[in-house]
Amino acid sequence: MTRILIKLLDYKWWTMILILLITVFFVYKMKQNTRMETDLDKYMPQDHPAFIYSDKAEDWFDIKDGIIIAIENKKGIFNSETLDTLKQLTKRFQKFKEIDKNDVTSLYTADNIVGSDGGIDVKRFYKRVPHSQKRLEKLKKSVEKNDMIFGRLVSDDETVTVIVAEIGKDVFNQDFYNRILKTAKASETKDIKIYVAGRPIVEGTMALLGPKDMKKMVPIVLIVIFIVLFITLRSLKATLITLGVVFFSTIWTFGLMATVNVPIYAVSTMIPVMLIAIGVADGIHLFSHLQTYVNLNPGISKKEAVSEMLTTLWKPVVMTSVTTAVGFISLLTSQVYPVKYFGIFTAFGVLVAMVFSLVFLPACIMIFGLPKAKTGNVEEDKGGHSHSKIANSFTNAIIKHRKLVIFITAIIVILSIVGMKEIWINSSFLEKFEKNSDIVQTDKFINEHFGGTSTINLILDANGKKDAFKNPEVLKLVTKMQHDVDSSLQVVGNTFSLADYIKRMNKVMHSDKEEFNSIPDSKNMIAQYLLLYEMSGDPENLNKVVDYNYDKLNITFQLKSDNSKDLKKAIAIIEKYRNDFAKKGITVNYAGSGYKALVFTDLILDGQIKSLIMSLIIILILLSVMFKNIWIGLIGSVPIIITALISFGVMGFLGIPLNTTTALLSSIAVGIGIDYAVHFLEQYRLNAAKTNNKLEAAQITMAHSGKAIIYNAIVVIAGFLVLLFSVFPPNRELGALVSLNMFTSFVGTLTIMLVLLYQSNIYFKNKANNY
Amino acid sequence: MKTLKLTLVSAIIILISGFTSTAFAQSKLTAREIVDKAYNLPTGDDMTSNLTMTLINKNGDERVRKIKQFSRDFGKVEKKIMFFISPADVRNTSFMDWSYDDPGKSDDMWIYLPALKKVKRISSDSKSDYFMGSDFTYDDLGDRKVDDDTHKLLKEETIDGVKYYVIESTPKDPDYMYSKTITWIREDNFVGLKKEFYDEDGELLKVLHIKKVENIGGFLTRTQSEMDNVQKNHKTIIKLENVKYNTGIPASKFSERMMMRGI
Repeated sequence: MTRILIKLLDYKWWTMILILLITVFFVYKMKQNTRMETDLDKYMPQDHPAFIYSDKAEDWFDIKDGIIIAIENKKGIFNSETLDTLKQLTKRFQKFKEIDKNDVTSLYTADNIVGSDGGIDVKRFYKRVPHSQKRLEKLKKSVEKNDMIFGRLVSDDETVTVIVAEIGKDVFNQDFYNRILKTAKASETKDIKIYVAGRPIVEGTMALLGPKDMKKMVPIVLIVIFIVLFITLRSLKATLITLGVVFFSTIWTFGLMATVNVPIYAVSTMIPVMLIAIGVADGIHLFSHLQTYVNLNPGISKKEAVSEMLTTLWKPVVMTSVTTAVGFISLLTSQVYPVKYFGIFTAFGVLVAMVFSLVFLPACIMIFGLPKAKTGNVEEDKGGHSHSKIANSFTNAIIKHRKLVIFITAIIVILSIVGMKEIWINSSFLEKFEKNSDIVQTDKFINEHFGGTSTINLILDANGKKDAFKNPEVLKLVTKMQHDVDSSLQVVGNTFSLADYIKRMNKVMHSDKEEFNSIPDSKNMIAQYLLLYEMSGDPENLNKVVDYNYDKLNITFQLKSDNSKDLKKAIAIIEKYRNDFAKKGITVNYAGSGYKALVFTDLILDGQIKSLIMSLIIILILLSVMFKNIWIGLIGSVPIIITALISFGVMGFLGIPLNTTTALLSSIAVGIGIDYAVHFLEQYRLNAAKTNNKLEAAQITMAHSGKAIIYNAIVVIAGFLVLLFSVFPPNRELGALVSLNMFTSFVGTLTIMLVLLYQSNIYFKNKANNY
Repeated sequence: MKTLKLTLVSAIIILISGFTSTAFAQSKLTAREIVDKAYNLPTGDDMTSNLTMTLINKNGDERVRKIKQFSRDFGKVEKKIMFFISPADVRNTSFMDWSYDDPGKSDDMWIYLPALKKVKRISSDSKSDYFMGSDFTYDDLGDRKVDDDTHKLLKEETIDGVKYYVIESTPKDPDYMYSKTITWIREDNFVGLKKEFYDEDGELLKVLHIKKVENIGGFLTRTQSEMDNVQKNHKTIIKLENVKYNTGIPASKFSERMMMRGI
């Protein structure tokens, strides 16, 4: 291997040309084929039973997410100006090509079914905007009396009314959102304020905002990394070459994605993050070694220097890269495709970065010459050794206080485990935005006035038993459950089902007497009400709550929050009824985008934990095999485990919820932790062979590897701290957590791992016996 | 003959039943004249039939309703009464409709629910609504007047050896639910073959197929027709059986008392 790498140095130009040609090919492919996948449904594993059922239910009942357009008039909405605005806006939204006319609901489109002594009356609330005080008053009264409208389309305080426009999947994009906003805002006046909210808006904005913010932040991150890298390596050449490795490996990775036609998912934006954090490591180690070597051997030829660098370091570079790649490949166990792709392509990127470090980097040095020798350290007092004083005293201190190190580590580990218990999963989209952002404020406003902007769909399935939901006993149980959920949770604002239609019809048929706002006792009565509703109301409405054979029911719960904790609370109450329904042969299922997001986050977390454990085991085995010693495997895994534990512990303490992005971050703990450990262990092994003194071996290792590790950590931490200034909270969390992981990895490697290594006597046992 | 309004019987007659087969060669009829002949065809003074309406949704689920219906033309008012035979849980639910010739006067409608044992008057202002969850709107079922649209003869077409006029009708009211309809009308007897309905955006919404036409007591009656909503993938099949004309249904048949009595 060493021979091949050194041989390749003679073909430096060919190497460069080949790399550039492949890069050009990949750039071309990216230009041609790169596409972003923003449809969140595409992220879900389509073959998961919960998703299959939900998709089917969405199809049965035409469940779609709604955009909510709220019209507020502080003076009240029952005046001709507001009612006209409502009518005009309703009509305008019906004309949008992305929106089906029948999917727009407002007070203007709604039917008002009312009962009187002699009969029933099906009327629109208004068609022509009423002007006279008398007519306005009449409209107000009829709204107040209809509880299928009051509190749902008109707020209880009568200052806000909403238009709900349901849209299909894949419809939302920036242009559509802008047009909606423009249309809405165009109707604002001195008295009338208009707000736009709803899950499609939140989801869509998030899918657009995250990558957009990343695009803005990544160049700044790179500039900072460039500057810090320059300060540490003190050579423009070395800095450019190191970043070149990262740059080319990122292009190759995304190029390959484009070539094999894999779209860019939101999690894919994490790939450059990983490659930056991991890719610069090899460069720093290689250059750091090269510079030390050149300093010690002035006047050496560049080929000799590079050959020495490759001879000493090819092994740790390959080992770190392979173990890191294996760590990422373990993500293949995830059920979520974007995470699988993330794993494969990051692994590919890591391996490409390895090849670049061993082929491109030396070729560059051969072409452009050795980086300038560092002048800073030359004059330094080396304390009798060939390495730095700081490294010596640091190593001494650590070894001296090793019991303290172990003790502190143990405390940190315990604290982390305590913190991890506090960790929670959140599938909320809304909470990814700033508290004072428009989108959160609007949502809050609508939630204050209406049932809620988030929904859970509960699907009751009588498993093919026709007409099951015409049974009064079943509908009464449904009503009871609805009431239970609605009254015991503040966050549940509204519930809605077939039972509400039946209650309404029963009331209407009994001259609007409130005592008949209930489910009648006779099945025939229910069937006849349903028929009557079909004949007089809009049968499409019924299709949204019950299926054709009356053996499936869709119950909607509106929540004022899309926070996973709240969704789970509501589900917990519903679950109490599972047995009661089961006795009637009815199974309980859930559907809708809110529920899917909940399941999805659980899946990601579950998969992440599994793959984390698996990658730890694989890495332990790999390390043991590579170093032919199981103890090395165990010791080498320590920094990774500590990094992961602290990462989760801190999240628990700070209340940062696990979500797609933060869960994936544990991969970085593995990727980086293993790099540091391997470099350190390999150096220690080499140094141990040269000396009989444990402490001296540790000191030399600290001076070489330790220095490179610190440089690496500083560079990446500095770079990622930039993300703290991002406008998108998830990107801020990402920056903070990557920095934290880098920090704990390097501290863990240089302290506890060193102590364990020292204590274990590995590489010195035989020697001790011999002497 | 006057245009029939809203009532299902009349609807079926207009849509499904025949036209007077003036089989003489027609010379240069205008589009309006063709439509007028197709719309205004004599039927009997009264009619009795069993109607089976099958609704089929996109999943292939079906709702089948059997109805016994009676209708009679009283000159200025057209009265109709219908009784549900099945499904069993709505059996004997009845519906009565009096439709007036005077365009200013809206229909009188009553519903009787046997479980409630009460006749209730219904008033509704939604005429473009779909009839009982079917793909037919009340308008499709016969409430349309010849001069509500402007008609244009697109072409003449021969299908399976039969010559048809192909007529495009555009509503005068720009806010109407269809932007246009295209109708194939037999040249020899003015029986329709099919009709395409286009939505507000000019896209095909529904297609009506006349599947079967029978001569019953001298009246060409369309006994089977199918309306496909191609956008919603929903379909309605209407079949008429035991069709009888001019049996002399008494005026007292169309009363609240008869609604409550059932079939």
